[in-house]
Amino acid sequence: MTALETDFKPFKTRVEDALANRTLKVAIERTTGTARLKRAAAVSTWPNFAGARDLGRRIKDHVTSNLDHYLIEFERNAIASGAKVHWASTAEEACEIVVDICKAANAKSVTRSKSMLGEEIGLPLALEKAGITRVETDLAEHIVQLAGDKPSHIIWPALHRTREEVAELFRKHHHTPQNSDEIPAMVRSARRQLREAFLRADVGISGANFLIADSGAVCTVTNEGNAELTTTIPRVHIVTAGIEKLVPSLRHAMVLLRLLVRSATGADFTQYTTFHCGPKRPGDADGPEEFHIVLVDNGRTHMLGGDLNDMLRCLRCGACMNHCVVYRQIGGHAYGGTYPGPMGSVLTPELDGLAGSRDLVHACTLNGNCQQVCPVDIPLPTLLRGWREKSWNEGLEPRSVRRALWFWAFAARHPFLYRMATAVAVRVLRLFGEAGWVRSMPMAKGWTSHRDFPKPASRTFMEQYRAAQRRARK
Amino acid sequence: MTSRDLILGKVRRALHRDGVEPGPVTAIAESLLSEPELGRPPLPEGDLRSLFASRVTLPQIGGTVCVVEDLRDVPAAVRIYLEEHGTESPVALQPDPDLMQLDWGGLAFTSGISPDQTVAIQKALWGIAETGTLIFHSAPNCATLFSFLPLHHIVVLEAKHIVAYLEDYAVAAGHMAVPRNANLITGPSGTTDIEGSLARGAHGPGFLHIIIVDKRD
Repeated sequence: MTALETDFKPFKTRVEDALANRTLKVAIERTTGTARLKRAAAVSTWPNFAGARDLGRRIKDHVTSNLDHYLIEFERNAIASGAKVHWASTAEEACEIVVDICKAANAKSVTRSKSMLGEEIGLPLALEKAGITRVETDLAEHIVQLAGDKPSHIIWPALHRTREEVAELFRKHHHTPQNSDEIPAMVRSARRQLREAFLRADVGISGANFLIADSGAVCTVTNEGNAELTTTIPRVHIVTAGIEKLVPSLRHAMVLLRLLVRSATGADFTQYTTFHCGPKRPGDADGPEEFHIVLVDNGRTHMLGGDLNDMLRCLRCGACMNHCVVYRQIGGHAYGGTYPGPMGSVLTPELDGLAGSRDLVHACTLNGNCQQVCPVDIPLPTLLRGWREKSWNEGLEPRSVRRALWFWAFAARHPFLYRMATAVAVRVLRLFGEAGWVRSMPMAKGWTSHRDFPKPASRTFMEQYRAAQRRARK
Repeated sequence: MTSRDLILGKVRRALHRDGVEPGPVTAIAESLLSEPELGRPPLPEGDLRSLFASRVTLPQIGGTVCVVEDLRDVPAAVRIYLEEHGTESPVALQPDPDLMQLDWGGLAFTSGISPDQTVAIQKALWGIAETGTLIFHSAPNCATLFSFLPLHHIVVLEAKHIVAYLEDYAVAAGHMAVPRNANLITGPSGTTDIEGSLARGAHGPGFLHIIIVDKRD
C-alpha cells in the first residue's frame, strides 16, 4: 500500500496500520535513533548552545516582527541581481506561476531539489497535470518518486523504506542498476541514473533554507550536491520559498545554519551550503540564464501576529519528530499532512483546516521533548494545546469526547466521587496485571494490542497519603 | 490588487503599521550580533591551518589533506594523489591564473569539464577552520560545476586564506561584489537517505583532496 492510498483513511485507521507494521517501526528507529544520538553529541560539544539557541530565536523573531521591511529589502536586492521576483498568496497561485515559467521556457523536463514548500503547495501534482516530466534529485525523494509514495520525514523523506525495498525499486526502474544490494552500490546506481536527468533538464526547481535580505541571495543546503546540479545546469532556475525564510544578512544566516544543521543531522555544517544570487553573469562559465524567485504566503500572514506567530520561526530541521514518542511509533504517513510530527501537527490544521485534522492535535503526550530540542525554542506543546481549545470551542470534538469530559469534570468537582472512582479503577486494572504490566485487557485492546500498560500501585495516591498520615499521627 | 500588495498589506495589518523606517530595523539586526561569540562554538586551541586540516579530515567529513611549501609543488602533489588512486584520465583544470602558470609536466588536461569527469582541480578562495569548509565564488574563470561533476575534487588552498569562523568569511565577502554562486563545501558528497547509513559520492564528488600551500614548513 502506498502513502497516497492511506490518505483517504481516517487517522485512527492510519495509526492502527502503522502500529501493526513492524518493519516500519524498525525503519523509523534506525534513522531517528541515529539522528538523536548525533544531535546530542553535536550539541554537547558546544558549551553555550543554549545561548546560541536563544540568539537564533531572537533573530527569527526580529525578522517576523519586521517582515514587511525584509520582504521589500530582499525583493529590491534580488531584482538588482537580475532575478525575477514573483509573489503568490496561495498554493494554487504559486503552482500556476511555476508552471507558467516552465511553459514559457518550453520545458519538457524539470529537475527538483528537495523542498518541503514545494510539497506544501502541491507542486509535484501541478507539474504532472501540466504534462511536465519531473525528476526528484534528492536520493530520498527519488526513492519516494519511484515508489509512488509521499515523504514521511522532512529530512529523510524515505526513512520508511528498507534497503531491500530500495534495491528492488532501483532494479525495476534504473537503466543500469546495481549488481549488489550494498548501499554504496545502490547510491552509485542512482548517481548514474540521475546524472542523465540533470543534463537533460530544461528547468531546475529548488526551495530555499534562507533568503538573505541584504544581498537578495537564496541559500540552499544539501549533503549530496543535488541542489547545485539542479540549479546550475538547466537554462532556468526557479526558487519557491515561504516568506518566513528571510534573514537580515549572511552573518545572521551563519548563526541559524549552525543551529539548523546540528539539530537536523547532528553534523556541524552541511556538505554543500550555497548562496544563489541572480542568473548567469556576462562571461560566467555556467549558471542559469533565468533566475526566478516565487515568494509564497499560503497562510503565513495569517499566522503572523496571531496564536501561531512562534511557528514562523521554524527552520524545518525535523528534530521535533526525531524526538517525538508519537512520531517514533507511527511514522510520518499516519499524520496525513505535508509536515509530520509535532511541527506538522501544529501546521496542518492551519494549512488544511482544523476540522479534518483535529485528531493530530490530540496525538500528543505533551511531554515537551519537541520544544526542548527545537533549535529556535518553538513552544510546540503550547501551540497544540491552543488547537485543542479551539477544536473544543468550535464544537469539533465528537459527542463521545464531550460526554466523557463532562463526566470527568463532574467527578472532578465532587472529590468523594472522584476518589471512589479512581480507587475502583486501580483495583480493576490490577486484576489484569501480570509481573508489573497489563498486557491485555477487554475494552482497551486499542491500547494493549500494540503496547503494555504499567500495572498500577495497589492503592491510589490519596489512599496511600491518608494511610501515611494516620501512621504519622499514631 | 497584485499578490504583492495583498501580502504586504496583510503583513502590515498583522504588525499594526503602515510602513517602516529601515534605519532602526537595520540597527536592531546589527545589535543582535554585537556579541559574535554567542552565535558560534569556541574554537579549540591551535593554529588555523592545523585546525582546518584536523577538522576536514574527521571521518564524518571525509576530506584528505596534504601540505606543500610552495604553489610550485602542487603539480607533484597532484601526481602523487592520482597515482595513489590509480587514475590516468585527463584532468579538468580551473582556468585560474595561479594554477595555469604552474609546470604540470606531462599531465593531460580536458578542455572543459564533462558530465563524467574523473578529476577536477580548483583553487579555493578561503578555508574556514571552524567547520573545515572551502569557499568558491562563481566567475568567468571559476565554473561552479568544477566542484560538483567530478568524482575526485582536488582543491588548492593557500594557508594564508584560512579564516577562523564562518562570519570571518561573511565579513571578507562583504567587501566584494556578491557572486552569482557562493559555494561553501565541507567534505565530499554524502547521503544517509537509505537506512541512515552514510554513503559517499551521492551526486557530487566521492573524494575531496585538499592541497594546503603553506610557506611556513
